[in-house]
Amino acid sequence: MEDVFLEARNISKTFVGVKALDDVDLTIGKGEIHCLIGENGSGKSTLIKIIGGIHKADSGTIAIDGNVLSGKDAIESIRAGVQIIYQDLSLFPNLTVAENISINQMLETNQQFVNWKKVRETAKRALSEIGEDIDIDERVENLSVAKKQIIAISRALTQNAKLIIMDEATSAITSEEVKHLFTIILKLKERGIATLFVSHKLSEVFEIAENITILRDGKLLGVYPSHEVNEERLAYIMTGLNLKSEPYVYEATKFSETPLLEVKNLTKKGQYNDVSFHIKPGEIVGVIGLIGSGRTEVVESIFGIDQPDSGSIYVRGEEVAIRNPRDAMRHGIAFLPEDRLTQGLFDVQSIGNNIVITVIKNFLKRSKLLDLPKKKNCEVEWVQKLAIKTPTPKNPANSLSGGNQQRVVIAKWLATDPKVFILDGPTIGIDIGSKHTIHEIIRDLARQGMGILIISDEAQEILDNCNRGIVMSNGRIIREFSDSRTIGVDELLDIVARRVESGAGA
Amino acid sequence: MNIKRFFKRSESYVLLIIILFSAFITIINPAFLTLENLFDLLRSSSGTAILAIGVFLVLISGGVDVSCTTIAIVGQYVSVNLMIRAGIDSIWFIFGLSAFIGIVLGAINAVFVSLFKLPTLIVTLGTSSLYHGAMLEFFGTRAVNVGDLPQSVKSFGTFNVLTLPRADGTTYGLSIFFVILVALLIITYFVLKFTMVGRGIYAIGGNLEAAKRAGFNTRKTHFFIYTYAGFLAGIMGVIHLSLIRYSNPNYIVGTELGVIAAVVLGGARISGGTGTLTGTMLGVILITLLEKNLIMIGLSTYWQQFFIGVVLILGVSITYLQAKFQDGGRTIIVKDEE
Amino acid sequence: MKIPFFKFKEPKNKYLFIIMMLTILIMLVMLPDIFLSQVNIRSMASQFPEFGFLALAMMLAMITGGIDLSVVATANFTGVIAALILTKGPEAGMSPILAIVLAIASVIALAIPCGLINGILIAFVGVPPILATLGTQGLFLGLATVITKGLSIANFPNQFLFIGSGYLFGVPFVFILFLIGTIVVALILGRTQQGFSMYMIGSNPTVARYSGVNNSKIIIKTYVITAILAAVSSIIMISRANSMRPGYGSSYLLQAILVVVLGGADPDGGFGNIPGLLMAIVMLQVTQSGLNILAFSPFVRKFIWGFALLLVMTINFTAQQYGDYKRVKKMRQIATTTT
Repeated sequence: MEDVFLEARNISKTFVGVKALDDVDLTIGKGEIHCLIGENGSGKSTLIKIIGGIHKADSGTIAIDGNVLSGKDAIESIRAGVQIIYQDLSLFPNLTVAENISINQMLETNQQFVNWKKVRETAKRALSEIGEDIDIDERVENLSVAKKQIIAISRALTQNAKLIIMDEATSAITSEEVKHLFTIILKLKERGIATLFVSHKLSEVFEIAENITILRDGKLLGVYPSHEVNEERLAYIMTGLNLKSEPYVYEATKFSETPLLEVKNLTKKGQYNDVSFHIKPGEIVGVIGLIGSGRTEVVESIFGIDQPDSGSIYVRGEEVAIRNPRDAMRHGIAFLPEDRLTQGLFDVQSIGNNIVITVIKNFLKRSKLLDLPKKKNCEVEWVQKLAIKTPTPKNPANSLSGGNQQRVVIAKWLATDPKVFILDGPTIGIDIGSKHTIHEIIRDLARQGMGILIISDEAQEILDNCNRGIVMSNGRIIREFSDSRTIGVDELLDIVARRVESGAGA
Repeated sequence: MNIKRFFKRSESYVLLIIILFSAFITIINPAFLTLENLFDLLRSSSGTAILAIGVFLVLISGGVDVSCTTIAIVGQYVSVNLMIRAGIDSIWFIFGLSAFIGIVLGAINAVFVSLFKLPTLIVTLGTSSLYHGAMLEFFGTRAVNVGDLPQSVKSFGTFNVLTLPRADGTTYGLSIFFVILVALLIITYFVLKFTMVGRGIYAIGGNLEAAKRAGFNTRKTHFFIYTYAGFLAGIMGVIHLSLIRYSNPNYIVGTELGVIAAVVLGGARISGGTGTLTGTMLGVILITLLEKNLIMIGLSTYWQQFFIGVVLILGVSITYLQAKFQDGGRTIIVKDEE
Repeated sequence: MKIPFFKFKEPKNKYLFIIMMLTILIMLVMLPDIFLSQVNIRSMASQFPEFGFLALAMMLAMITGGIDLSVVATANFTGVIAALILTKGPEAGMSPILAIVLAIASVIALAIPCGLINGILIAFVGVPPILATLGTQGLFLGLATVITKGLSIANFPNQFLFIGSGYLFGVPFVFILFLIGTIVVALILGRTQQGFSMYMIGSNPTVARYSGVNNSKIIIKTYVITAILAAVSSIIMISRANSMRPGYGSSYLLQAILVVVLGGADPDGGFGNIPGLLMAIVMLQVTQSGLNILAFSPFVRKFIWGFALLLVMTINFTAQQYGDYKRVKKMRQIATTTT
């Protein structure tokens, strides 16, 4: 029988009038692999930070190994054995692996001088504890994200971690690397180290979790042993919605048969190989595949961020050369990028400026000066059209919620009156309500004759919103399905995951 | 160090250029490659090298310090004047005083950078104006001539640790300036490599947030960096004084960009976190060679600045083009990080 | 573009305005009759334009997230060429008017390759602006030094000196030039695609690229404009001083950066506006003149500038922290909580 390592009871926390956590419990046994699930805004991050001692709960108690935490600082939690690995991993890119692994411990022991021999030993030992072997003299910035994660975990081990909290650890690594990460988590379990795996990716959770705690809007929805639930039931619990919504129907007869966009044999060494597909007016085509499958790389080549080594792109039947985003835009292609904050939105600029950036040329009068009233009208128009929740387009974009921010990005592209709209992960980091609205917006666009491509991690999203789809893995298209109604979520997930083993190389 | 790793490092390229350039100069003017010339070079550039160490430390931590030259001249001018007024003729006194002034001025820099989190370029621009204005106002602008200079300073300037005879019976030697430089290099190297404070400097430059999370006292580290840089500037001020035997309160100021250029050529990245002492010294050597030896290849001193500009542009172009191609050509224009 | 006097679009400008008025007030109190005298106002109005153009140039660079350390060197270099034409031309028998026209034309023309070098280094080679312009600063100053052998060139045709010391309708000609220049820059920043794109690139060059902005073209154009502004500055410089030597105006560089930051531009890019800059320039000019009249040494001026910059930035910082704290916490917690 497992002993209890961490017991959090009745945790509540309010920030400036907003209740981030409301009477939440969390129990983790020694060596247990526990998953904490919730959408953005559910309170996951706050709970982690309270456990880590970075925030102090307004009410409730946390006991670790029987001892109640006072919550005064992070060191207390660290000494109790809690280690948090943030999503950005908090590593030093300019320092070596050895130093990154050993540095926290050196700081903790308050030493003044550096004993390099000891640094190397500590690092080697930590790595071997999880059975890993990385060149400890390599600079961390030269390593892949997955390797960096291993370093972060090793670092946690140097401070006698008994609970490692991993926050969204799988968002930037390939499926094989995810599997590898899971084997490490199992090794940690063998050593009696518990893992709190925080995620919003339900499919992965089931592979590794023993128990699952679900949060929504700061409240505890429930704690479930993983064998007692499945993904569908979890989704239902989380959203309160029966996700079997009406799948999107493509009315082929309504529009022309000529594809708005067609790509043939696109190849780029190391990224994607022999990719061909097309999008007809009125269609919503889905692309699914885990990170590393080349899906983002392909669309970035179509949009002109990059160039393929070979292959051709056709817009409305004519071959085109796309050397940069402007060329793509000129051919009526719009692209909503995966990372909203670093690629999609100027967070400190106004909402209005964000919207008009793509079409600023349209407001030039003959004198080459901007028609400011015209610009302002455009801004207001789009804020209204997409129901962006803001009193004025002058507010900075970072004052909006994730869902509203995404609407701004969508608005900026719709303003260009595109024929083809490619959306890479349109609902990442967005609450359920906004997700639904964005799907509606996309469907409406397709019904009006636009050709849409959606890239997503989530099988359900693809099957509900796309009339057909493409599965990519390791840079190739491994499967296409021409009718979403003929395939089930589980089957699709199997296809996405299974092909990886046979390793079709790029 | 195997061959492949050797060529990956930018310091290696600088070394290569130095060797090639030296060879080139020697062919044109064999007088270049003599011990006497070498000693002379070391004597006149040790001061700059010491300044460069301070600039280098700030650069690694992710900042750009343009006040180092001002601190140097303030340290020099104030302490020499006080020395004369007080009638104290001790080289230790002036070094101590100048170093102290440097530390204080550096600490003020640290307050703004660390406590108020202001960008270092702007802060040091402001403080150089502040310090220089204050000094000129309170201590005047009268230069101190060699005639008024205390003897200890003058003797220090000609003190050699190693003396060799020339053909005509006179002697030349390795200046004590170089010894000071070497001592400071050793100390700095030790601090950077073997103390947590030193590793903290690299950590802050690499990832400030992570440094805080890991438990580094970033305030303490910032204070150390800027006070140490101030200390070095103070030392340089006195060395400069005993080198040229003249204290003009408007000297040294204005050369800071050249020092930064030297440090950058030596491989330190403007964004912080990367760079070595060796590279910095090589950068200083390269710049010094350029400055002093254009005459030897027949170009007047007027070409100096032009050539340094060209070398800097070529040097950084190569570095950044390299980085760009490694990236697969996807690098977007990156904003300067302070 | 109308300059709103009491309704400031930028919140920071409110504080700046108050500080500026305070400064003027102090001067008025200390020098009741002299400060507002025609002589003094004329004097101030003719002093700052040569610096003002440099400040305008610096602000443009900083809006895009960069910096142009080579503005003064560009001014020196182009100024030297103009000076040569203005002296050698008439010597060779050219009419003064022709020499003047030629000088001005070549200054502007030469500025373009100077700006192009900067722009190409930054946009295509990928060199950080601080380093690129550090290098070109040496390059241009070096060229100027080589051409003049370090000496100054002096004595230009009288007609040319009108630019620097002449008056038009009672107003110093240079002031009119600066006014025109300011309006042009304000139009570029506020009413053109170039200006709009500059702000966006300064905020986030990646997002700009993904939005179809031609980053390279905009950046190159930016540095060409800064070079042209520097060239205009050089015309004013040489006509006021009736000479040019390499190294003239070296203190302007730091001052330009100070003034731009004081005026509210964010050194990281994406922000910066004309009203703020103008107020900062006025503040500094007023302080300088006032201190001059009061026979304060120029060193006190230096001290005060440094002090003012640090003070303003510290105030900005604390105000922003407080404002941010309240705003962000409220809005972020309502919306989402991410790591």
